[in-house]
Amino acid sequence: MTAALRATGLAVSLGGREVLAGVDVTLAAGRWTAVVGPNGAGKSTLLRALAGVVPHRGAVMLRDRPREAWQARERARTLAWLGQAESGGEDLRVWDLVMLGRLPHQGWLAAPSAADRAAVTEALHATQAWAWRERTLGSLSGGERQRVRLARLLAVQAPVLLMDEPLANLDVPHQADWLALVRSLAAQGRTVVSVLHEVGMALQADAVLVMQSGRVVHHGPPADAATRAAVRTVFDDRLDIHPVAGAWVVVPRTASPGFPPRAAPTMPGFTPPHDSPGEHA
Amino acid sequence: MSAGSRPVVLAVALVALAVVGGWLGVGVGSTGWAWPGAAAADAVAAQIAWDIRLPRTAVAWLAGALLGLAGAVAQGLFRNPLADPFLLGSASGAALGVALALVGAGGASMALDGWSRLGLTGAAFAGALAGVGLTLALARGVQHTLRLLLAGVIVGVVLGAARELVTLADPAVLQAMQGFMLGSTALSGWPAVVVMAAALGLSGLTALGLGRVLDGLALGEATARSLGLPLGAARLALVGALALATGAAVAQTGLIAFVGLAAPHLVRAIAPARHASLVLLSALMGGALLLAADLAARALIAPQELPVGVLTALLGGGYLLWLMHRRGVLGGGS
Amino acid sequence: MTAGWRVGASLAARLISLAGALLVSALLATAQAAQAAPVAITDDRGVTVRLPAPPQRIVSLLPSLTETVCALGRCDRLVGVDRYSNHPASVRGLPTVGGGLDPQIETIVALRPDVVLAAVSARGIERLESLGLRVVALEPRTTAQARAALLALGGLLDAPRADRVWQAVEDGVAAAAAAQPSRVPPLRVYVEASAGGFAAGPSSFMGELMARLGWVNVVDAALGPFPRLNPEAVVRADPDLILIAERDAAGLAQRPGWAGMRAVREGHVCTFTPAQGDILVRPGPRMAEAAALMARCAAVRGTR
Repeated sequence: MTAALRATGLAVSLGGREVLAGVDVTLAAGRWTAVVGPNGAGKSTLLRALAGVVPHRGAVMLRDRPREAWQARERARTLAWLGQAESGGEDLRVWDLVMLGRLPHQGWLAAPSAADRAAVTEALHATQAWAWRERTLGSLSGGERQRVRLARLLAVQAPVLLMDEPLANLDVPHQADWLALVRSLAAQGRTVVSVLHEVGMALQADAVLVMQSGRVVHHGPPADAATRAAVRTVFDDRLDIHPVAGAWVVVPRTASPGFPPRAAPTMPGFTPPHDSPGEHA
Repeated sequence: MSAGSRPVVLAVALVALAVVGGWLGVGVGSTGWAWPGAAAADAVAAQIAWDIRLPRTAVAWLAGALLGLAGAVAQGLFRNPLADPFLLGSASGAALGVALALVGAGGASMALDGWSRLGLTGAAFAGALAGVGLTLALARGVQHTLRLLLAGVIVGVVLGAARELVTLADPAVLQAMQGFMLGSTALSGWPAVVVMAAALGLSGLTALGLGRVLDGLALGEATARSLGLPLGAARLALVGALALATGAAVAQTGLIAFVGLAAPHLVRAIAPARHASLVLLSALMGGALLLAADLAARALIAPQELPVGVLTALLGGGYLLWLMHRRGVLGGGS
Repeated sequence: MTAGWRVGASLAARLISLAGALLVSALLATAQAAQAAPVAITDDRGVTVRLPAPPQRIVSLLPSLTETVCALGRCDRLVGVDRYSNHPASVRGLPTVGGGLDPQIETIVALRPDVVLAAVSARGIERLESLGLRVVALEPRTTAQARAALLALGGLLDAPRADRVWQAVEDGVAAAAAAQPSRVPPLRVYVEASAGGFAAGPSSFMGELMARLGWVNVVDAALGPFPRLNPEAVVRADPDLILIAERDAAGLAQRPGWAGMRAVREGHVCTFTPAQGDILVRPGPRMAEAAALMARCAAVRGTR
């Protein structure tokens, strides 16, 4: 399997602080990889560094070519990025905003082509935003706006998609829609990388990248018990992972009286390396 | 009227307004209002209509168009609906240039003779460009929007202080400065029309061509970069267009407030559109606004004239108050 | 014999009237020729304006130039003045064309003047010239410049004996100075020329008049024509007499330290009305009046 994105020694300092401290990661094509970790782990920064929208040290290879070697528009057609909590463009019509996703495909002064219009239409249908295409973004609710921004990302029709918190403000049915969408994108051979707060959703992915304090702690499929153990570890064992109806479900563990929480009693002298009291599989 | 056709309708309406305003402008003057066309008989009256009223009407429209264009570019570039074309130190630079020229003309100093030779127009233009250049140097390029804005504010304050020092050294220029600052089309002739039309063409084409970049910037710098837009070069060109447009307008008509701020707002309120259309419509709207204000300034207390900058400030301030009231009534944030 | 006398007398009378007519027409012809002679003037910008004949329609944008034109006896040729020109009374009925800083271009053009008189610092000179009008820019600030402007305008307007007009002004100033009682030591005076606390220095027009009147200006010559002095400098200078505008005089005692000043305490303060202010400030033919005004006030309010 070819690597869509390969990063070596990726490091980012923001305001004197090392937000990303030397990350090496290979993201295979045709897969959906979810990035999880506690707040401040550097997940968003990793995506921004891969997309090239934040200055970073280290190299990023996009389809086996250095990302800097790509011509800007060609690179934009290949690698599309949706930021966390994007704002702006409230005055624009939904149609026009999604059409902005076609910018890498359009000539300087050219009017939108039939291909552009088809791509925008398809993207709006995929995110169930078609009904609002004439409304301005500002007139929509938070969840509706998020779907429009997703449509903008889809309109690029890029083989590699980086999404930061794509489920923000989305209600459960539309989260389910998104899940179906991402699976179909991966099935088409595209590469999807998404930072997700919803750990349960992240465990539906083909691969999970677990991060903590600017480093990658684990990278593997959710079927692997080691992956799930890594997830529990970075979240301080404050969650339980249960299989329900063929999928992984995450339940937060509330703190027992007498904070900080104590681990459940085990046999004295024995510390299980992978197994932990929350594991039931 | 569908949202798509609104920009076209607005454009047609604004062009029609400009034509009507131009025709009215030939009739308004020192004798109050007179039907244009009746003037053809008398040679002096014909000279007044052709050589005085027509060019200054054209200059009023052109200045408004330049300021409206600059306002749209500034608001798109800085992603702030309150951005004003005078942000990057162009206004304070122009004012300083005029102050130096006035002092030089008064013979106060041989060193300033060069400034006075440029004439007030040239001095204002040179000053505006120098102000923007200083801002760019201070911000070390156009990479950072926030740094650019901050540098613009600093340059504005520093050049304003320099102007105060100049007027302190020669208090006689205070009154003349005031006259310049309030804005007027009284002293503009056909050569001014040519210069301003050229500036409008150049900066307009630049802004139109880079409309895509402004659209992308509306979504945020990071997103714009991810869409493959050449931000650095485009921002430099846009700042250049901004400086050219405001310098050309200020040089001829002095400092006229609010047109650059209000024109893009009005366009967005009536016919929201992408930046390529927004820039064009803002120019048309600004031209119509300033033309109307200039006609009023000439006609209200004829044969005396109100400074047109006072009128635009009153109108613009009123519009912003109404905006605030509407927002407050609708209970919404921005 | 009487018939011959009568014939001779009537012949002589006819000859004399013929000669007289010839003389008169010759004089008229020369006068006409003089009137039709081209005139020229070099203004303060160094620009030489040439006209084929003395101008018959004049617009003035500077009060001192208006007064100069009228002093030369050519008041009837003014067709428009700026809003600040108010002397002599006859110009108040003329159309006003704005001020030096905001001239109404249209109104000026509509008056079809042969020449426009303006200050060098006036705006719109290039605009007027680009519309085909001749502009003469003069801005007298000192006595010498006022004299030069009067003589130059006398040449332009073909006014008879402009030098005599100036001589009369000079005589008036000398008379005002001579009419004063001799004061030893001389009177030390502080003159505040305009609102905002600008004092009249020795190089200003008023300063020159003060010197002609034999007064000592408490303002140092090095500070320029209209310096803005620190109020305490005036207190320290302790002038014998203060000349100030009426509307500023009321607040004199409020100025820090001024209430204790000898001139303020003992009432040696001369105030001038706005109309009198115009006379004092404009470097022009009313110089003699200005000198007389100042001398009269000093006689009433001065210490000695």
